[in-house]
Amino acid sequence: MITALALFGYAAAAAGCAPALLAPLTSRGVSARLGLAAWLAAMASAGASAAFGAYLVIATAVANWAPFTAALCRSVAGDACTPQVYRSELYEGGVTALAVVVVLAAAAALWRYGRRVQRAQRQTRAHAETALLAGRALADQVPAGHAQGRRAGTVVLDDPRPAAYCVAGRPAAIVVTSGALALLGGPQLAAVLAHERAHLAGRHHLLATVTRGLTAAFPGVPLFARGAAEIARLSEMAADDAAVRVEGCPALVTALLAIATGAPVPGSGFAELLPGHGGSGHEAVPAAGLAATACAVPARVERLLDPPGRSAVAVSRLALAALSVLLLLLPAALAVLPS
Amino acid sequence: MRGFGELEAVVMHRVWAHDGPVTVRDIFDELREERPIAYTTVMSTMDNLHRKGWLARERDGKAYRYTAVASREEYSARLMGEALAAAGDTEAVLSHFVAAMDGDQSAALRAALEKIAGRPS
Repeated sequence: MITALALFGYAAAAAGCAPALLAPLTSRGVSARLGLAAWLAAMASAGASAAFGAYLVIATAVANWAPFTAALCRSVAGDACTPQVYRSELYEGGVTALAVVVVLAAAAALWRYGRRVQRAQRQTRAHAETALLAGRALADQVPAGHAQGRRAGTVVLDDPRPAAYCVAGRPAAIVVTSGALALLGGPQLAAVLAHERAHLAGRHHLLATVTRGLTAAFPGVPLFARGAAEIARLSEMAADDAAVRVEGCPALVTALLAIATGAPVPGSGFAELLPGHGGSGHEAVPAAGLAATACAVPARVERLLDPPGRSAVAVSRLALAALSVLLLLLPAALAVLPS
Repeated sequence: MRGFGELEAVVMHRVWAHDGPVTVRDIFDELREERPIAYTTVMSTMDNLHRKGWLARERDGKAYRYTAVASREEYSARLMGEALAAAGDTEAVLSHFVAAMDGDQSAALRAALEKIAGRPS
């Protein structure tokens, strides 16, 4: 019981303190991937501690019901708790009812999580399948020289609104609208595709699905809500970093600005190649109404144009790695030590 | 798996290219000119597409005549509606390259643009 209480206490402390500790370390996305790992470690640490604590309580209750109810009674009422009280049918009935309520609440949370995750997966796969069937293969849309675009799974949808996104599935799809294609040059398109491929390779959709599911299951826990938002933001930055490594910073920044403002990259764009997009008289259609989960463009551009110094990166990495290890080791130590 | 999905896309685009209903034989004859392919492969692909709700079919004598349930433009519009919907409409997990911006963010973006313009390149 002491172990369980220690785990509950730790879970509450981690859920309360972790956002305050992590937010300043990850706000600028200095090391986006380690930042992702640290937020995940915090959520896993708090969640697993609470879950293991609950398991210990249930195991104790099932194995030794009478001593369990007695201990529960004494821990609440102290010396006022006499055998007459905790052996009474009224008290037993009360504890049983409480147990039923707790189990039902846990089942409801699990059900909310499962429903959310299952729905998201079904809709995501259906979207990917429809995109691959209804879209035009990008390979047929751009000149052969732009080899990066000639990959299976990348499709163009005819829509004047500039947008690019990836959607996981079997297989996954990367979607670029004709409106976006009209704004981008070869290097920018390559940067967009590298960014989206990094999302797929990093399984960022899984992180989003799980963290959103946790938020749906435990709506009152700030660590989960904050963690889901931070993980979405850091996923963007990690994908940006991957795109910069492959295609360079200028290509990515100009691509971000072009799609965000709806103004084409000067002197480039596949506009003249597309049906319904004359090379001249292009009207700027800024990206609008997109899902608000991804992070803001200005912060990403600022970060790309003004990267932190080496020492700042090293300090941030060290702090994030140390914090992640601590978050994972502490509950393990609590679970093992006292017993 | 990937190869089969690609064939489904190829067949759908062929069906959309026709104005009226098509038979397996029509599509098979077209595809045979481009790639080595078996009649039964085309038949099972179109049967799959029918099962998944992409193609409608009517019996005409011995053969089925297939038509697309919706046009490509309709699917595109549906996808874009899902992709660009305000949060809450869909639960599909899409990773957008660029998110929507409010007034403050646009101002910050313009400031960033001026910063680039001010730099010697």
